[in-house]
Amino acid sequence: MTSLLLILPLAGFILANLPAGRAFRRMCIVLPLVLSAVQVLLTLFPKASWWTAGNAAGLSLGFLRIDGISMLMLLAIGLVVFASSLISTATVRDERKNRSFVNLVLLSLLGMNGVVMVTDIFTLYVFLEIVSVCSFVLIALQREQAMFEGAFKYVVLSAVATMLMLTSIGILFLCAGGTSFTDLSSMIARNHADYTVVFAILMFIVGLFIKGGIIPFHGWLPDAYSSAAAPVSILLAGIVTKVSGVYTLIRLVVEVFGATPKTSQVLLFMGALSIVAGALAALGQKDFKRMLAYSSISQVGYIILSLGAGGALGIAGAVFHLFNHTIFKTQLFINAAAVEAQTGSRDLDAMGGLASRMPVTGATSVVALLSAAGIPPLAGFWSKLVIVVALWKAGHPVYLAVAVLASLLTLAYFLVLQRKVFFGTVAPGCDSVKEAGWRITGPSVAFSLIIIAVGVAVPFLLDTILLPIGRML
Amino acid sequence: MMSEAIVPAGNPFWTYFIFSVLLILTGLYCITVTRNLIRVLIGMELMTKGATLILAAAGYLTGNTGVSQALIITLIVVEVVVIAVAAGIVIGWYRKTGSLDTSAMNSLRG
Repeated sequence: MTSLLLILPLAGFILANLPAGRAFRRMCIVLPLVLSAVQVLLTLFPKASWWTAGNAAGLSLGFLRIDGISMLMLLAIGLVVFASSLISTATVRDERKNRSFVNLVLLSLLGMNGVVMVTDIFTLYVFLEIVSVCSFVLIALQREQAMFEGAFKYVVLSAVATMLMLTSIGILFLCAGGTSFTDLSSMIARNHADYTVVFAILMFIVGLFIKGGIIPFHGWLPDAYSSAAAPVSILLAGIVTKVSGVYTLIRLVVEVFGATPKTSQVLLFMGALSIVAGALAALGQKDFKRMLAYSSISQVGYIILSLGAGGALGIAGAVFHLFNHTIFKTQLFINAAAVEAQTGSRDLDAMGGLASRMPVTGATSVVALLSAAGIPPLAGFWSKLVIVVALWKAGHPVYLAVAVLASLLTLAYFLVLQRKVFFGTVAPGCDSVKEAGWRITGPSVAFSLIIIAVGVAVPFLLDTILLPIGRML
Repeated sequence: MMSEAIVPAGNPFWTYFIFSVLLILTGLYCITVTRNLIRVLIGMELMTKGATLILAAAGYLTGNTGVSQALIITLIVVEVVVIAVAAGIVIGWYRKTGSLDTSAMNSLRG
């Protein structure tokens, strides 16, 4: 019944727009919460009979398929959409905007669920565009000047990415005579040295680099993240770019394009460049969300690097770090939302000593940043360890050194962030700041518990979930 | 292993391909050079048209016209949605600032 993951958000979207009374419309705010909670509960039991029920009766759509990595992404999508919708009820006060937010979140839930389940490259493009269009509108939702600017930059770069991907789809369609993953992968396996095919593959990969915000195609990303409203930037940074850029890249490189030495070289180089340049740019930022955005670019670099290392371990590392990144980056953006909601500012220099005023936010942010910097025993340490081991096994000592040293840079900029915002003496003007409401701190605490739990349970997870994912693909 | 390329040099595809690449480059040039937001949208449309031409040529030359028709109609629908949203953002920007100049879009940096 995997098609229900697409049908239910669509049904929710229709329900939320029925010409009914105001009380009914207000009820619809709970729709994304309910749907994402259901999705999280279902993905926690991947072996349940629910997933295969109805397949025999022909109720499932032919182009959808679920495997371990899709299941993990469905879980992450559910978690982030739930957190973002819960925070939107606290921060988006205007009733009409709240309704628009509900509609768009339901549509992007539909699109992201589609992206992680499709097996056809053109259908993949359609779902990617659904997600992108929803994010364009979401960024500009509050109609401030900076939001229009961020959204427009995203629109233009996304159009360039779309053009590259469509051209690539056209050439691959010409060569293979079909657009399904199986057609394409068998054609590419036969002609992996042909210049036309290599050209098409590289164009698609560059398109996905733009969507995922890899340096030097990152121009839109900090603007879009930092200008958007709090729940929107949680959604964007937490899951939208990860699904539409990074997950798609992992899926296509592993399953369709194949890990040839040329693509591996490109991925390794771009990954290392992104890690270092993203971390250096993050060090110099004065805006809370912009710093997190550059750190996002840097962390996505690790995922690409691991994918370039290849092998079961490299792919497992990429998927694991993708999941961990989703969790800790969502949590950091939730904390940014809390700080912005309580102090009204995102300027790092204007804050200080907020840990004494906002103890929950301060403590959870320590957990998230230590996980991002790779301090044991938190989740981020284990995924970085898997990446380092994968690089060592694949014989890339230089990239290994880059990955390890850039971890120090990560620690450096996050310590700068933590010291400026939460530690030290209370800055003038921050005296009367109070802790944010439970709708913001609740998800924050939940996400830090996930980080700790994943970190502690990692031996179990590695054997049962992650290594099978790497081998299966 | 392969003596001949999968799309040989004499294939009629390359004629279509050259024209699509010209269209795409025109679109890219339009986006990068112009200072008017509406012209940026026109450039985006031109690029997508180039990609559409490649898809149409691919379907025609492999005999898969049915599939490529389905793909192109879907593509046109998606493209209309994207351009409508983009136009909405331009209108919003114009109402806020009263100008359509791209050089005014520089408040976010760093």
